Amino acid sequence: MSEKKTVVITDARSVSAKCAAEYLARQGYDVQIVPETICLWDEAALAAFAQPLAETLHGVIHPAPEKILGGIEQFSGDDWKRARDEGPMAAFCVTKVFCNIMREKRQGAIIYLNSIHAEKPVGEGMLFSMGCGAVQMLCREINQDYGEQGVNCFFVQKGIEEGEENCISNVSPIYCGVDQRYPTRKMPAQDHLNGLLAFLLTDAAAPLTGSDLRADGGLTMFYNHRKRTEGRRYVHDDD
Amino acid sequence: MTTTERRVALVTGSGKGVGAGIVKRFCSEGIRCCINCNANRTMAEKTLQEIEAAGGEAFIYQADVSKPEQMQAMVDAIIEKWGRLDILVNNAAMQPMKFVDQYDVDTLQWLWEINIGGYVRAVQTCLPHLRKSPQGRVVNISSIHGKRPTNFDAGYAMTKGAIRMFTRELALELLKDGITVNAIDLGGCKIEFKTGNPEMHFLTPVECTNPRMPLRFLQVEPKDVADLVWFLCSDEAGNINGDGIRLDRGAVLI
Repeated sequence: MSEKKTVVITDARSVSAKCAAEYLARQGYDVQIVPETICLWDEAALAAFAQPLAETLHGVIHPAPEKILGGIEQFSGDDWKRARDEGPMAAFCVTKVFCNIMREKRQGAIIYLNSIHAEKPVGEGMLFSMGCGAVQMLCREINQDYGEQGVNCFFVQKGIEEGEENCISNVSPIYCGVDQRYPTRKMPAQDHLNGLLAFLLTDAAAPLTGSDLRADGGLTMFYNHRKRTEGRRYVHDDD
Repeated sequence: MTTTERRVALVTGSGKGVGAGIVKRFCSEGIRCCINCNANRTMAEKTLQEIEAAGGEAFIYQADVSKPEQMQAMVDAIIEKWGRLDILVNNAAMQPMKFVDQYDVDTLQWLWEINIGGYVRAVQTCLPHLRKSPQGRVVNISSIHGKRPTNFDAGYAMTKGAIRMFTRELALELLKDGITVNAIDLGGCKIEFKTGNPEMHFLTPVECTNPRMPLRFLQVEPKDVADLVWFLCSDEAGNINGDGIRLDRGAVLI
């Protein structure tokens, strides 16, 4: 890569974001990870981080926050605020700060590395799912505002990744025996999103701007696990 | 007295507009209603007068749905008056009509606390009573902006996207309680005025309509919403759950 291109990853704690950071760096991108000390819903702090990168800023990858599980009667006031701020508020501030820079150059991309739970409920993940639904609409909305100014935006719905297998819901069995719920009967490799994210950062992805891209290894559209597990019954922890 | 006549409903934001249409319909069917209003008591009193003149039973409770203690006091007042609560219709919301650059985090948090926080808190507060009902129902009035973007209010659309998932999650969670939860994704609706940012009230018709398709063909009226809410609260709709039903005369398809 002859020209320096900076890609900002706002939170690299998840497996997929960490893999993407390493992969994009190997591809020659200047990968900058927002330090954990910067609050993502503090517009001024984010702007101070972003400004020195303005000249070479090429794209932003904004992963979804950590899941908060629990039903409507189980989450606390602190959980509510945390989900609100780490989810939609952070996504909004990240969008405003970085897209305003990219639109000046009439070039760039923002990728919301989000979740299937923007569409798929689990019955015990209300706080997380509401945030995902909100960010999905943010992506569609800013495609109107920033799209005509050369900034592409994408909403990636990733499936269940390593470390999340234990997010068991007592209502939806989607996390139970998750390997069997993929057409391939195994969870996708940790780095399976790398190629997609790299593609979305290129000009060739411009016609896809504003899209929802479900990249869950076929998880949510696959129901034949019932036949494959004939004689087996998925049970919840409290059964 | 039939089951229907004994049922009790709370409709948030029902002093005027869509909410007023719903309480009028409910009361005409014998359901007893709490008319919740916040800023505009005068219009709520007008709604109550119309209901009482038609022989319906209702009372007004002024409360800010973003304040948990006010929500609790309102539900307590309903239980004290009628001893039960069968239907919750979440309707109170704001539409600031701001562009992305006009929002800051404080404004967005404020909007979130009303448009989605108010819905969540209402369910949390009403749930113990809805569980006792033989026919518990939650209906969330949402918007087509929870599915299709516009370009004039990203913050509002975010809250509607959240309501879409709130409805789905809650429907699954309350399945075992026999309470159905559905949303109505409402398009343009002819009401007195929108609660939010009056200066930009006329932005939508001017910028977003097709001159060959007059607005009157695309707008619904509060009565239309009330008809659908009434159906969702009926026995016949008992198997509809977690859905978001678009009510816009097909406008979104244009």
